[in-house]
Amino acid sequence: MSALADKDVGRFLNEHFVSSFQKVGTFKIVGNQKQGGNVASYFLAPDGRVLHVVPGPVDAGTFLREAKWVVDTTREAMTASKGDGAKFKGAFRTAHAEKLKSETGLSVEAITWDPPESQGENDALTFRDPTGRSLAPKLPPPPIDGPDVRLSDAEFNKRQQAANAAPGNRMMDAKGGRRVAVNNQAIADQLLAAHAMVKIERVYGTVFENILGEKVSTKPVEIATPFPWVDREGNKLSK
Amino acid sequence: MKRLVYGLVVTALVAVPATAQEKKSGCFGTRVTFLDTPKEAAELAIKQEKLVFVLHVSGNFEDPRET
Repeated sequence: MSALADKDVGRFLNEHFVSSFQKVGTFKIVGNQKQGGNVASYFLAPDGRVLHVVPGPVDAGTFLREAKWVVDTTREAMTASKGDGAKFKGAFRTAHAEKLKSETGLSVEAITWDPPESQGENDALTFRDPTGRSLAPKLPPPPIDGPDVRLSDAEFNKRQQAANAAPGNRMMDAKGGRRVAVNNQAIADQLLAAHAMVKIERVYGTVFENILGEKVSTKPVEIATPFPWVDREGNKLSK
Repeated sequence: MKRLVYGLVVTALVAVPATAQEKKSGCFGTRVTFLDTPKEAAELAIKQEKLVFVLHVSGNFEDPRET
């Protein structure tokens, strides 16, 4: 993802966002090779609720388009909700469903209400690993209903081909047993059609494990540098 | 509570020119100014009426093209 080194991306992010980074997992050693390593880019409200996520490395054009979508959609949702937080959440989730539809031709129903949340470490709803530690929950995405019925077969196939050409492309079951093409970004939009405006600590596990296929080995921790081969000023460091 | 949360979001997009970051920051070879922690980023975002961008990384990238 050389996207963050792009000057247009840098200008846009610095103008509309305040940025930071965290580490959420470690690489694996297979043979003598280091494997693993991935990124997820979160766009958040200042209180830590997730507006959007770009899973995995993408090119500068894609990254900028997604970042602009966040800013534009936030403005539209603010206007539409007129100060009502529940309406803002609903508008954002609906926007994710619409985005999925326009990019892949697939239809999901936005879930504009939230299920009960766990009430703490000892709550029965808290997920745990075998040692008893609580983990980031795996949030269920809303089911894919199938093709948007308003699309012609040709248009649907065109959008499916585009979905199949993007990073993380894979096939997924839709209602009725139909197999449809999705990619990392499509699955993120599907997830956020039900879970946008949820705190990042409840979302990151699903993004890293269910979308990117990485293993979350730690809760997010602060690190000195996200990119160990450069220092704070960007000077290359020798190994 | 909902009103408070929404208030934070509502104020997040009123554009203000980027000013010198008040916290410790660096670009780490990118064009993006990163603060050291998401908490600091959130505090500054409220002050500057912006949104927050958080990069989650796993692994130590051996290949700079990854970022």
